[in-house]
Amino acid sequence: MKYKWYEPYLFIAPGTLILLLVFFYPVVRLFRDSLLAPRGSEMVFVGLSNFRYLFSDDVFRMAIANNAKLLLSVPIMVGLALFLAILLFEQIRGWQFYRTTLFLPYLLSITVVGVIFGYMFQYRGVVNTILQSIGLGALAKDWLGKSEYALWVVMVVIIWKEVGFGVVLFLARLMSVQEELFEAARLDGANWLQLQWYITIPQLKSVIEFFTVISVFTMLSWVFNYIYVMTNGGPGNATMVTELYIYLMGFRYRMMHIASATSVLLVIITIVFILLQNRILGEEGAYA
Amino acid sequence: MKSFRKSLAVWAVIALLAVLASLPACAPQPTQAPPPTEAPATAAPVPTSTPAPAKEEQITLTIWWWGEQEAPGAQTWLEETIAEYEKLHPNIKIQHVLQTTDGLIPAFKAAADAKQGPDIQYFWGGVWTLEDAWAGSLVPLSDYWPQDEINHLISNEERMYDGKLWGMAWYLSGNSIAYNKALLAKVGIDTENPFTTWDEFLTVCQKLKDAGITPLAGGVKDGWFGGWLWQLLEHQALDSADELKAASIGEYKFTDPKFADWWKRLQELRDKGYWNPDITSLDYQQGQDLWVQGQAAMIFGNDTFYKGWMDLIGEENFGVAKIPVWGKGKLAGGYVVTAQGLGITSWSPHKQEAADFLLFMHTPDRLNAWYKHTGVFPADDRFDPNQITSPIMRKIFGWIVEKPNPNLENFAPSMLDEQANFVGVQRLLAGEIDAEQAAQLSEEVIQKWRSQNPDAVEHFKKWLGK
Repeated sequence: MKYKWYEPYLFIAPGTLILLLVFFYPVVRLFRDSLLAPRGSEMVFVGLSNFRYLFSDDVFRMAIANNAKLLLSVPIMVGLALFLAILLFEQIRGWQFYRTTLFLPYLLSITVVGVIFGYMFQYRGVVNTILQSIGLGALAKDWLGKSEYALWVVMVVIIWKEVGFGVVLFLARLMSVQEELFEAARLDGANWLQLQWYITIPQLKSVIEFFTVISVFTMLSWVFNYIYVMTNGGPGNATMVTELYIYLMGFRYRMMHIASATSVLLVIITIVFILLQNRILGEEGAYA
Repeated sequence: MKSFRKSLAVWAVIALLAVLASLPACAPQPTQAPPPTEAPATAAPVPTSTPAPAKEEQITLTIWWWGEQEAPGAQTWLEETIAEYEKLHPNIKIQHVLQTTDGLIPAFKAAADAKQGPDIQYFWGGVWTLEDAWAGSLVPLSDYWPQDEINHLISNEERMYDGKLWGMAWYLSGNSIAYNKALLAKVGIDTENPFTTWDEFLTVCQKLKDAGITPLAGGVKDGWFGGWLWQLLEHQALDSADELKAASIGEYKFTDPKFADWWKRLQELRDKGYWNPDITSLDYQQGQDLWVQGQAAMIFGNDTFYKGWMDLIGEENFGVAKIPVWGKGKLAGGYVVTAQGLGITSWSPHKQEAADFLLFMHTPDRLNAWYKHTGVFPADDRFDPNQITSPIMRKIFGWIVEKPNPNLENFAPSMLDEQANFVGVQRLLAGEIDAEQAAQLSEEVIQKWRSQNPDAVEHFKKWLGK
């Protein structure tokens, strides 16, 4: 049976159309809006002026810097998840209980987590009370009320909540690794560290990459809820992130053109990360 | 890699073409709804509370509101009012949705973008109402209400623009300092007249501090209290709210002493250690709780909360004083008060009915019921002051009648409030900046606002009468 050349295209046309409408159109519209600005009841073309404003705005620069700082938590999160997954895989006493406990934070709502940690890290909150009660009162700080600590505290909370996902991913992969690999290494005299370095990590490579990529995107464009609930960008914009900046510009200050330009930059940054990831994975053939 | 580059290039070309196709060919493109000052469908305002004929079209009105947060009892009153109105108008069904403090503005802005949402929306006064009027999201109330009804509303000047009234004043919200008489008495302070001037206020604070009592409670983590502190301390340096509008459009600088000195007063309170030490890690509500629990002697309070506070700590233990005077402007010594209100949305298909319901809210019976339920003054001169039994509330009502002052937060761009006042107060109280740097921050923010909002600047000029 012979098909006409266009028939396959007809089959994929509905899906393509939906994709274009749902994903492509909003992005195109966003790019368009980023080049316009309101003048009276009209939107006029202003070229790159919205972007120029952004780069001159110290609050935006701070937001970008904070997103970059949050990226620092990715290696910590990956390392911690890996370590915990290995411990669980080795079936330390009570490992099943720990597995559930470690995954539990991931299941909790970010709002709930944010509110609870917001209370815990208050100046007169649980964290400082514990520090004082064990004689470490000098370490008690206004964790969320001072610019120098607030972002790091939020980062700790994000790590606490998100690490469980990594643990479960790694553990699931470890469970499917052939036990013979470990036995052979042990027979060859490998110690614990060598086992992890030469067997566990290489076996987990693709999952580690996946978790790393997900975590990078989380830190770039998925932290709004944490920030909004715990600090609302404060104190004094110290925890401002790009998403919150977009929200404020668009919905609080009626500057949708600036919000659009910011969103475009966020899209571009994310695409750059995707390209980088593709390049790295492509070169190493991780998914080959 | 080659094929990846090829497909990337293809997508880039498609994206570029799409962007170009969607550009307005560098020409202006209409985006907004027609000006909101269109005439109402029915010219003559409908008198209040006329029972509707039974066979009329079924109408549903939706109200998005806020206020239970600051006037507990408002919800009971609103539900009661809706029930009574629906009895009189069987063809009208009214739904109400209480909004959160943080959600009030974004939810309405999203609705306004979609031109779909409530028929009646809650608005704070001044710019919080007018920005939406300028955006075409509101219709003037004065197109739907008779002038003699409008004349009874208090604080209409906040919502006047271009000769029209853009919303209905609902209830009054004023600010003063509330204090715990027992704590002040402990350090030998006259609990009836503790202070009038700034220096007297500082003396009271010092005495309390020396006795180990935290003089002032507050919480600035969520920002809002920063805006309060600004309007309460700053207003007394001005002669009128017009000066603030003028500064917003660039006729003054926010680093000028008239606009910057209040930061020095705030820094003074910080440097002398008069605030609760955790002020930067608490939300306003939590700071307020500290005061109610007796952990601080005084608070910059809002009179809509006072009934509840008196219930909690006892009226005999509750005192109020006007904000201590340090400024030399004509507004010094007055009582800052605003009217919280409601407006009719431009997309509502039932504007006249919405206006009629608003009118019903101002019938004498509803006004008196409002005070009974909430202990908050309705913004209408037909409210019977004999209902005020509390001497404290009577004192406050006297201040409102004697010298009402505008709430400055309603006369400046919201971006200035949030990015300069909220942020500046947080940073100043955290010890990260001083008064001079805070004033500089205000000036930078207003310049940013002006650069990106030329239309709003024009509206401010017109509002100022230029």
